[in-house]
Amino acid sequence: MKRVELRVTDMHCSSCALRLQELEDLLAGVIRVEASYYKSKMTVTFDESNVTVKDLIDGARKLGYTAVE
Amino acid sequence: MAALIAALITGFTTGGLSCMAVQGGLLASSLAQLIEKDLLGKQGGRNQWNIGLPIFLFLISKLAAYTILGGLLGGLGKLFQLNPLSQAILQFIIAFFIIGNALRMLNVHPLFRYFTFEPPAFITRLIRKKTRQAGSFTTPIMLGAMTVLIPCGVTQTMMAAAIATGDVLGGAALMFAFTLGASPVFFLLSYFATKLGALTEKYFTRIAAVVLIVFGLLAVNSGLNLLGSRYSFSRLAESVVSALEMRHQGQASATPSTDLVLNVVDRGYRPKRLHAPAGVPLTLTLVTNEVHSCSRAFLIPALDYGVILSATGEEKVRIPPQEPGTILPFTCSMGMYSGEIIFDLSPEG
Repeated sequence: MKRVELRVTDMHCSSCALRLQELEDLLAGVIRVEASYYKSKMTVTFDESNVTVKDLIDGARKLGYTAVE
Repeated sequence: MAALIAALITGFTTGGLSCMAVQGGLLASSLAQLIEKDLLGKQGGRNQWNIGLPIFLFLISKLAAYTILGGLLGGLGKLFQLNPLSQAILQFIIAFFIIGNALRMLNVHPLFRYFTFEPPAFITRLIRKKTRQAGSFTTPIMLGAMTVLIPCGVTQTMMAAAIATGDVLGGAALMFAFTLGASPVFFLLSYFATKLGALTEKYFTRIAAVVLIVFGLLAVNSGLNLLGSRYSFSRLAESVVSALEMRHQGQASATPSTDLVLNVVDRGYRPKRLHAPAGVPLTLTLVTNEVHSCSRAFLIPALDYGVILSATGEEKVRIPPQEPGTILPFTCSMGMYSGEIIFDLSPEG
């Protein structure tokens, strides 16, 4: 189990945080996504044997967001 | 009535577009996808009516939820609506909130992000849980009601306006009109789904932000009117128009009189500028004839005078002697409509 904090600078409203939670469904191995529009970041708890940080960044891009470490 | 039409148009244009990414882009598209998937699985083919019905239920539920919310906010406003000063302060707070939200939408500085409401994580999780529970019509109804928990910037602005109405029915009607106006966008979005939000967001967010700034300035104007300020935008504009008229006519446009008559109409007061003699008491007669707008709630802030006029009738206001050159502004209780009495000369002068 690993936790990573990613900066997401292109969220434009508080519901973007809600949208980013879709990573939990999109990627097997993502356990929990906590995103904040106020802080422009998301904290992801994931199983590193199933998913990598790059997968998370790619997943965020698919949802329309730019996530950086 | 004018405020309701404005709310309807705001919903149809900026409201619908601003909320597109917040509620439409997420809930409506998720909803449409889920419904479509569910119904295709059951029926083996596309049925436009069956897809449309849950979306319709979603919108009806949303409309009902926001109407109730508007009523509650209007009631809240009534509790705090004490006098013109408190209303003016409320208008300034609304203006601050609106302009801050507009600057947030224009991405001016990260600080402006705090002008929007970020729902707690447990609420977002609850909403997401519901979006995954496809299969019955109760889901779109629940999701529609839950959109009150994630209002977009323009919706939040309209919620502030609902508070400013200071009336349960007024607040409910305002939110009903706004949500009704935004509904077609949601309906279309649910059919044409996710791509539309991304394509249009860039442009329409900016348009919505500019419109919000205009609304913010209007709220500042209302606040200044309620304070009886001579420097509200509407009064300054009126002064310019009046000066141009006088220059054009080569003389004052009105003769001072101790018996003033002011016609109260749906769109304000006629004439907007009255001339009266200084140093003598006078009578201002307010005349209404089938008037149903907020212009009926008449205030003279400097005299701490306020009255709710009947839809049709006359009301006489005693005005004590004023110094020459005094300008006595009057306004409606919302600060939307205004005018002034100018005390020129004594009757002998």
